[in-house]
Amino acid sequence: MTDEIVIKVENVSAGYEEPVLVNINFSVRRGEIFVILGGSGCGKSTLLKHMAGLTPPLAGEIRLMGDPVSGGNAADRARALRHFGMAYQSGALFGSMTLLENVSLPIESFTALPRAARLLLAEMKLDLVGLKEYASFFPAEISGGMKKRAAIARAMALDPEILFLDEPSAGLDPVTSAGLDRLILRIRDLQGVTVVMVTHELDSIFAVADRCVMLDQKSRGMLAEGRPADLRDRPPCAAVRAFFNREGGD
Amino acid sequence: MPEISRLGTGDKLIVNADDVESCAGAGEALILDLHRRSAAQGFAIVWRDRRGLAARTLRIFDVKKYLNGEAEPANAARHTRTADQVGRAVADISGNLCGQLAFLGEMAVSAVRLIARPGRLRLRDTMLHFERAGVDALPITLLIGFLLGVILAFMSATSFRRFGVEVYVADLIAIGLFRELGALITAIILAGRSGSAFAAELGSMKVNEEIDALVTLGLPPMVFLAMPRVIAATLVMPLLTIFTIMAGLLGGVLVLMSLGIPATVYWQHVFNSTPLGNVMLGLSKAAVFGLLVGLVGCAQGLSASRSADAVGRAATAAVVGSLVLITVFDGVFAVLAYILGI
Repeated sequence: MTDEIVIKVENVSAGYEEPVLVNINFSVRRGEIFVILGGSGCGKSTLLKHMAGLTPPLAGEIRLMGDPVSGGNAADRARALRHFGMAYQSGALFGSMTLLENVSLPIESFTALPRAARLLLAEMKLDLVGLKEYASFFPAEISGGMKKRAAIARAMALDPEILFLDEPSAGLDPVTSAGLDRLILRIRDLQGVTVVMVTHELDSIFAVADRCVMLDQKSRGMLAEGRPADLRDRPPCAAVRAFFNREGGD
Repeated sequence: MPEISRLGTGDKLIVNADDVESCAGAGEALILDLHRRSAAQGFAIVWRDRRGLAARTLRIFDVKKYLNGEAEPANAARHTRTADQVGRAVADISGNLCGQLAFLGEMAVSAVRLIARPGRLRLRDTMLHFERAGVDALPITLLIGFLLGVILAFMSATSFRRFGVEVYVADLIAIGLFRELGALITAIILAGRSGSAFAAELGSMKVNEEIDALVTLGLPPMVFLAMPRVIAATLVMPLLTIFTIMAGLLGGVLVLMSLGIPATVYWQHVFNSTPLGNVMLGLSKAAVFGLLVGLVGCAQGLSASRSADAVGRAATAAVVGSLVLITVFDGVFAVLAYILGI
């Protein structure tokens, strides 16, 4: 991890028509695993979608490696898009394609590599997530955990500097979830990629996160930012303590 | 209950529930309702309840939360006035129209870019949709076309026989199929089969975040998803229409042969009454109808919201929208053909 800032979120109001979060500010350093956490419906995934440029924030600015994700001109946005890969909560694999075709799709679209090289590269990405043997399978033929791994392989296809993960462990059993956490750590360590992950799974947070920011639905803002262990041991407010101690929610 | 509604301050309601063994949802609702009435009317309730069912219910549900409003308090906020509903409907319709216009604009831009760089078109996907919308639709198209010819022949033969001109049934069938019915019937089949399928596929992809994934991979959904479908629908329609017309003509000849008119006479009348202008008009219509079905199907699918219910609605809207537009454009073609003397 270095001190270089690769993601900067400044004064962002997140939401589609009405803001669910206002005045959000944080930055992510290169090589860091940064977790956006908070209760259901607090706007974590919405903020991540703003960061990925899927929808523009209602106010404020998000920059990836200095390039604005929304606003700016089309060239800036296209450049920002090339900085990251994203794995969705559902996997979002294309059902009519095999895993190999899913992973080779971005390689085919953005490189001039010959077909054999593209397929080899895609196979290597699947190998990285432990799915080499399933390359010819269709998404409907594999388990939920495998889909998430394949989605990470596809997100890593073009060797992005930043990896966005939306609820990677949602709907997985604890063993599979722990395996996915190890995979995320391995990818960060081997590839030096910066990971921004949305989750509310405490086990995952403690397993992988270097730093985290906690969002709050009630105040529509940030409750805390820091290392997960620090937030657990020295919570700045009752809501943070309740979250890390699994209290409330009745 | 009428007696309870007459109770007031100072009265006492004794409820004997000693013999009640268990209490499900309806019983809990009764307990809650009695306490709500007691709070509103001022009477007291004395429970004879050896199993403590009432006390248990009151521990679970806080009576104070139920004091305001008699029925369906949770739904009250959802009930809006007619003016609100009309306003929302107008906003929805105008939003939908704006969305469709934006879609058309994006499609036009994508088409121009594709002409500049044809290599960006996913040929394999286009061929796949061509096969699904065309080859797979052939049996139903042939069947409907054949039956259409049979129906037209029988329907007109009854009237034409009165004047002794049954042989002109061939002319009617040929003109009807080539100019109008061939393209129209095929377009209706395409809208029902492929237009709805386009909308449902794209709507499901939206629900599964596959469209978002394409965007973040830097692949424009218009080029990647919509364009192959629209091109396939536009190209396949004239071909399907030719098959529909041929099947219809075949149906017609069988009926006329059964009425004693030789096949050679039938085909001679068909050829004589089918100038090239008629053929071109029918095939041009077919291509435009195909384009409309493709555009509407993709527009509805890509604008669907993220729920299973919305996917169904998008498929329905794709069929209805296609049929409306096909009818409107058929009218436009009729006027143009009249003006141009085709």
